[in-house]
Amino acid sequence: MAPPASRTTVFAARRIVTMNPRQPFATHVAVRDGRILGVGDLGSLAAYGPHDLDDRFADQVLMPGLVEGHCHLKEGGMWDMPYLGWFDRRDPDGTVWPGLRTMEAVVARVAEAAADLADADAPLICWGFDPIYFGGQRMTVEHLDRAGEARAVVIGHANGHLMNVNSAALRMAGITRDTDVEGVVKFPDGPKAGEPTGELQEPAAMFLIVRHVGDTGVLAPVTVAGVRSFARLACREGVTTATDLVNKLTDRDLAVLGEALADEGCAVRIAPAFQAFHGTHGAAAGAERVATLRGRSTDKLRLGLVKMMLDGSIQGFSARLRWPGYHNGAPNGIWVTAPAQYEADFETYHRAGLTIHTHTNGDEASVVAIDAIERVLARAPRPGHRHTLQHGQMIDAPLFRRMASLGLSANLFANHIWHWGDQHAEVTMGPDRAARLNACASALAHGVPLAIHSDAPVTPLSPLHVAWCAVNRVTPKGRVLGETERLTVEQALHAVTLGAAWTLGLDGEVGSIEPGKRADFCVLEEDPLAVDPMALKDVRVWGTVFGGAVHRASAA
Amino acid sequence: MSAPPSPSPRPLPMTVVGGFLGSGKTTLVSHWLREAGGQRIAVLVNDFGDLDIDAGLIAAVGSDVITLSNGCVCCQIGDDLAAALIAVLSAPAPFDAVVVEASGVSDPGRIAQYARADPALTPDGVIVLLDAATARRDAADPLLADTMLRQLGSADLLVVNKTDEVDAAEDARLDAWIAEAAPGVPTLRTTQARVPLAIISRLAPWDGGSVPHDAAPGPHRHDHAPAGDPRHGDVFESWSCRPARRFAVADLRDWFAGGLPGLLRLKGWVQAPDDGWIEVQFMGRRGTARPSSPPPGGEPAIVAIGIGGRLPRESLERAFEHS
Ligand SMILES: [Zn+2]
Repeated sequence: MAPPASRTTVFAARRIVTMNPRQPFATHVAVRDGRILGVGDLGSLAAYGPHDLDDRFADQVLMPGLVEGHCHLKEGGMWDMPYLGWFDRRDPDGTVWPGLRTMEAVVARVAEAAADLADADAPLICWGFDPIYFGGQRMTVEHLDRAGEARAVVIGHANGHLMNVNSAALRMAGITRDTDVEGVVKFPDGPKAGEPTGELQEPAAMFLIVRHVGDTGVLAPVTVAGVRSFARLACREGVTTATDLVNKLTDRDLAVLGEALADEGCAVRIAPAFQAFHGTHGAAAGAERVATLRGRSTDKLRLGLVKMMLDGSIQGFSARLRWPGYHNGAPNGIWVTAPAQYEADFETYHRAGLTIHTHTNGDEASVVAIDAIERVLARAPRPGHRHTLQHGQMIDAPLFRRMASLGLSANLFANHIWHWGDQHAEVTMGPDRAARLNACASALAHGVPLAIHSDAPVTPLSPLHVAWCAVNRVTPKGRVLGETERLTVEQALHAVTLGAAWTLGLDGEVGSIEPGKRADFCVLEEDPLAVDPMALKDVRVWGTVFGGAVHRASAA
Repeated sequence: MSAPPSPSPRPLPMTVVGGFLGSGKTTLVSHWLREAGGQRIAVLVNDFGDLDIDAGLIAAVGSDVITLSNGCVCCQIGDDLAAALIAVLSAPAPFDAVVVEASGVSDPGRIAQYARADPALTPDGVIVLLDAATARRDAADPLLADTMLRQLGSADLLVVNKTDEVDAAEDARLDAWIAEAAPGVPTLRTTQARVPLAIISRLAPWDGGSVPHDAAPGPHRHDHAPAGDPRHGDVFESWSCRPARRFAVADLRDWFAGGLPGLLRLKGWVQAPDDGWIEVQFMGRRGTARPSSPPPGGEPAIVAIGIGGRLPRESLERAFEHS
């Protein structure tokens, strides 16, 4: 007996922005078995026979489900802790945490969170503290002791390189005036001269705290609840496909992903990238592991990506820069992987047929990656490799031309223009190089496939915000960093749909609304192509359609 | 929250071994693991791949931990040094020392900061290896030069390895370059990353002659002939005594601060004025003196090791023999 015929649903919308250049706009899309059957108007879709008409989106605009090509599932787990950032940020339940613009506001939120904690002894850990617009004012134990004296309070900074703690946390960790180590900041004068201020600046100093409260950073393993939170946030931001751009892919990690994604409410496809940061002999086993796992991919879990890392971060002064180096004279950054080992390991993963995403923030790191990949491709040509440079924040036109000739893609960190753009202009790069920070228009002009990203939780998960950054290139202080590097809205929307999907090898499946692709849509209240480009980030997301199933973002 | 501290736990000595890929770091820690001599050493490495340990010495192999039958363990750091150190510090059976192999591009000085920061650890030196055959070429590579200089700047002891692979002319050029790139850093030369454990570990005895247990306290000096193979590296000599007088921690610290060229390692215990004990340790260019529990033998004893002919004997005699 034949299986029962699948039903066809036709979604009607105010407008459908398809990202398919042959048919850029439509009003109706027919869906069967989770895939797109046809796109057009109600009349043209009659060709596909009987259907159920779903007109709940008659007043909304549909786009392809947005694709975040560089983020971390940890974004979901961060919200177990209070957020203290300068920028407004929305949590998975839709609550907007207003940005904290003064030290007093930070202290008040910490005090509130401390009062809310039931367990009187449990440490309070907060994240996202971002004092760069506080005019040089530093947080000390004097602030945090006002927020809570009995329990340990630990505040992580948004840049990931610093921590502030209160007196109780200093006692817990045994940090005193006698702790003689770089990174334990002491009061220079006043009644507390020589005592620790509670600011901890180096991994060794932060280790004293991490030993007691555990690692809460981006690399901490994700949990099932964390993945579910991430999926709720993704739905709220219109994202239906996302990476987890460093994952150890242990059996435990895979079990967590498998369990979370088995839930139909978890409406997101995840493409985790294997964390290929290992010793000198780890690449062969790593490549074998990922190549084997690739066969275990499912509709919602796509395995086969590899993440490598060459340098650190620009705002942390650990990125590798070419001449003239850091604008403020800071010494050049660090190699996270030695250039020679990068090349050798890259070749191993490349020869195994895998797609490698390389973290290169500074332009010297980008040059090293391009040089290495050029040699590897000469030794081992491979069509369709889709290797991608991630962040690539200082790549200039000559490097983009080389990338194009090698078939490399760029996933640029456009959100940096807003989040750290003023620091880059004033401190890290100076005005000229800051003007080519995340040079999106140059990438396209020279034929490099382009994606743009948030690196959530480093900045918030929101492709429309990232697109807004790439389109406007404005900073909080009102600068426009490099007008000529601005994208059109169409180009920016391409970069957060088909552009990102290309870097993940999923552009045949997601990223546009056309027949045969998965029925993954982002449902918007306004038309992103019709609003003022300065309002692109404010376009409201109603929710998503995922494999044909409707998911409304939960009400705040 | 943290458990109350157990009664005066001895901090765990931590050594950091740095140097570029191929400089001999793993070979050095392999020697250490094989020759631990009853000490329980935890060695944290980047990769098991280059480890050179007889199968007969291996008791168990896990994905990230190798347990040896002599009580030592070797762990792969992965990307998380903090987690690896926490595992070592919370091991049910305490270790005697921890040795961290830094990655080829990391600054071992930054890793040594963990031992300075954490009261459960105490720094026991930063050893940086240089491959004699490739060091000058790497130092001329604009991508690597600053990384190498940072490593040299962090070294308490520079070990020039593979000296058998360069001729006399290159050797001289290397010497001149080291004098410029790492001024004041004690340097020794070797092959196959062989360095006497007594120099790199505060725990290992000097088998060129330790202080005899039957010796009575008092100015009692033992000089020892140079040991080592002069064909392929430095030879070493030692000096030892049983100081009869009592010492103040501050005086010992001042003595270290004055600089002790030619001294590579000094270790031992002396008596404090209040009948307490002071543990004295010096490695490369840093010394510490800190109140301690009584020494294993219950007697004061000092051993000093340096390159043959360069031990600062007069300074040692003035410090420890004169009353
Ligand atoms: Zn990232």
